Amino acid sequence: MTLLSLLLIGVSLVALVGGQLLLKRAMESTTGRGFAQRTFVISLLAGTLLMATSFFLTLGLLQRFDLSYLYPFQGLSVIFISIAAAVLLRERLTLPLIIGSILITAGVVLVSIS
Amino acid sequence: MPMNSEPRVQSFRFANPWVQVAVSTLCVTISELFLKRGAMATVHVSQTWAWTGLTGLASPLVWIGIIFVVLSFITWLYALRHLPLSRAFPASQAVHVLVPLSSWLVLGERITTIRWCGIALVLAGLALVAKPVATLEEKL
Repeated sequence: MTLLSLLLIGVSLVALVGGQLLLKRAMESTTGRGFAQRTFVISLLAGTLLMATSFFLTLGLLQRFDLSYLYPFQGLSVIFISIAAAVLLRERLTLPLIIGSILITAGVVLVSIS
Repeated sequence: MPMNSEPRVQSFRFANPWVQVAVSTLCVTISELFLKRGAMATVHVSQTWAWTGLTGLASPLVWIGIIFVVLSFITWLYALRHLPLSRAFPASQAVHVLVPLSSWLVLGERITTIRWCGIALVLAGLALVAKPVATLEEKL
């Protein structure tokens, strides 16, 4: 486990969270204004690019580490995405939502380490 | 949050964003099964390029898997149109229940006790996250 690998895991997570936020923003913009507008096209492209970055970084990491070692980090994405959505997209986090997200994360970690 | 308080979707047709999340998750599960089968079928193709994963493209099963990945991505985008990300993304983690279960049922892989516990935890979490579905439906 080198510092570089930790950094790559971090970058892959940030790219996944950022990608999902951008995709959300892209699709949200279509509800009022349709698909032929700049916000949609730019957010969709940037979001897809970030998702692809995260995908290939994870693929590269998988060559060096066990899936069971990397997957718990992936499970953390649920918590990061909920927090990012609350802060950046102003989505409302309710208590059941927070508890549910924590349970799902714990479950994903268990499924992957077993 | 302006958008999810807007109940512009009707009943459990495809236009319902929760149905879209479910379809997207199912597509991921189906794709994983095809990719696994296709990957296993192409083990012999080339030792030199195996590490890239590209050798899998020699199998039609892998291409079917890719089609389902694309379908899941498109359905996911539509789901994001109306659902808050903080709800839709945790719900999409149902794949961590569906993939092990289908690996067990379809591929005959074994599930350990700890993994069953993990699956149970994810299910409990999903129940909490998806609870507002009931409220959303009532409003319509």
